[in-house]
Amino acid sequence: MTVTSPLSAHLVSDQVFVIDQSRCIGCEACVQACEECGTHRGTSLIHLEFVDRTTSTQTAPQVCMHCQDPTCAEVCPADAIKQNEDGVVQSSLKPRCIGCSNCVLACPFGVPKYFALPDQMMKCDMCYDRSSAGLKPMCASVCPSQALWFGTPEEFAATRRGELLFEFRFGNQVVPTKVATVVDRADDGPLDVLGDPGGFRWQDDPFGLAGVV
Amino acid sequence: MSSSTAATTRASASRRDRVDVRATAIGLVAVGVVLVGVYLGSGGLRWFDAALAGYLVGVLLAVFATVYRYLVWLQRPPTACLNRRGWQAFRARGRRGRNAVGLVGEVGTNLLAQGFIRRRSTTRWAAHQLVFWGCLLAAAVTFPLTFGWVHFRSVGQDGSHYRAYLFGVGSGTFDATSVVGFTIFHLLNIAAVLVIAGVAVFLYRRLRDPGALAVERSGDFLALAGLFAVSITGMFLTASSMWLDGQYYSFLNNLHALTVILGLLYIPFGKLFHIFQRPANIGVHFYKSAGAEGPQQQCRRCGEPFASALQIGDLEAVLPQLGFDYGDGAGGNYQETCPRCRRNLVTLAQSARVGGFG
Repeated sequence: MTVTSPLSAHLVSDQVFVIDQSRCIGCEACVQACEECGTHRGTSLIHLEFVDRTTSTQTAPQVCMHCQDPTCAEVCPADAIKQNEDGVVQSSLKPRCIGCSNCVLACPFGVPKYFALPDQMMKCDMCYDRSSAGLKPMCASVCPSQALWFGTPEEFAATRRGELLFEFRFGNQVVPTKVATVVDRADDGPLDVLGDPGGFRWQDDPFGLAGVV
Repeated sequence: MSSSTAATTRASASRRDRVDVRATAIGLVAVGVVLVGVYLGSGGLRWFDAALAGYLVGVLLAVFATVYRYLVWLQRPPTACLNRRGWQAFRARGRRGRNAVGLVGEVGTNLLAQGFIRRRSTTRWAAHQLVFWGCLLAAAVTFPLTFGWVHFRSVGQDGSHYRAYLFGVGSGTFDATSVVGFTIFHLLNIAAVLVIAGVAVFLYRRLRDPGALAVERSGDFLALAGLFAVSITGMFLTASSMWLDGQYYSFLNNLHALTVILGLLYIPFGKLFHIFQRPANIGVHFYKSAGAEGPQQQCRRCGEPFASALQIGDLEAVLPQLGFDYGDGAGGNYQETCPRCRRNLVTLAQSARVGGFG
């Protein structure tokens, strides 16, 4: 059984944070902008890497998806990860984090980062200083391809293709999130991360000739 | 959320609502130990200062609540696991000597010198050190006084010399007007100045740093306000007796006692509870080194080692207790995927749902 929450549960300052990984061009503007975030100045927390450098130009960007029931917070032995009233999952509380890396290893999206020198974890907090005031997170403010996007659901519907999806499946575990990804049809269910990707890839038949030739 | 997760969340919520009998019992034992310590240390209450009885009540309540919360905290599945593993790693055969030496070093560099804070920010570290040593100094003075373990007696007839007694055993005599005497009688003022200086730096940062402001929680200010209130009302007492001929002393004394007792009660419930949680960081270090010496977990997708098999195994055991099931339905576990491959899998799955990337 999956619980589909109302769209309002996914908003911060009436806006929704959207990551469309397929649009990422790997320019690393987000990586630089992330360092400018007021809550972790000088440290970039976004992830961006090549999926498989030898065979593809595809890149994988990853921000915190702000799970409704955050695995990271649940596995934290020190209660150092807190979820705000609006559902944003904060970075570790500095006095509490004991640097065990449980969250780093348990997060299904691979988001938290462990830093050895201060001996603590830090993670994306949706630039809470900005998003809580209605401003775009740093990464979304610079992303040239709108792979990272922050705006109202109406703006999204008016300017973008695809539908917003807030649920992911990792094996048996369904993880509802605050941050959306984009799929052609949200009705097809949670994004099945371990499932057979299947579907039609335009690269397989870029000119639509499969049925013609 | 799966229904099983919801059920587990509800179950743990009802568990949280119940009074924990074992923690209550051990908390009461701790209170008893303090009371016995007070009785024996004060020579059967002979040296116990009745004027400080209110502080003792505050200490007893704080001891009970701190022990209670600590024990309940230790029951959370990931905390219980780490607690067990940390001690296992510490006591492991063949490593005990090295670990004991390491523990001394850890207490020095980590808990006392707090180098991990300095590596984050020197200002923050300086502020934390000021508050930390100020509080330790204050505790070292006030707790023995409150318990009747330390008391002073005047020597001679003119009241110029005093002798300090620890557990009724006299130490050297000192001149109240000398530098030594002045320092001893003003130890709490020195502590208060240290704490107030640290609080000022913390407050400056809290009020100025936009990032800190955004993620602030009310407890952050409450802790600073409490530390400031205890320090400043304590110094009021000195001001009253030194410069105001003792005016308002009785009122100020009650005011100070009230702030201290409220402060003591805040410790187990508020931000300052990290004082008791932080030592777990040392356990983490033993856990991590035990993990590093053992077999490593290889990623089920890329085959690279990415964490200790010990920790991944622990997570696979703890996650179901928290209501999560990352099993892949074929006997494997998604948790055995390295974080980098997780990110790649999410991206690949997403682009498949929009007809490929690009």
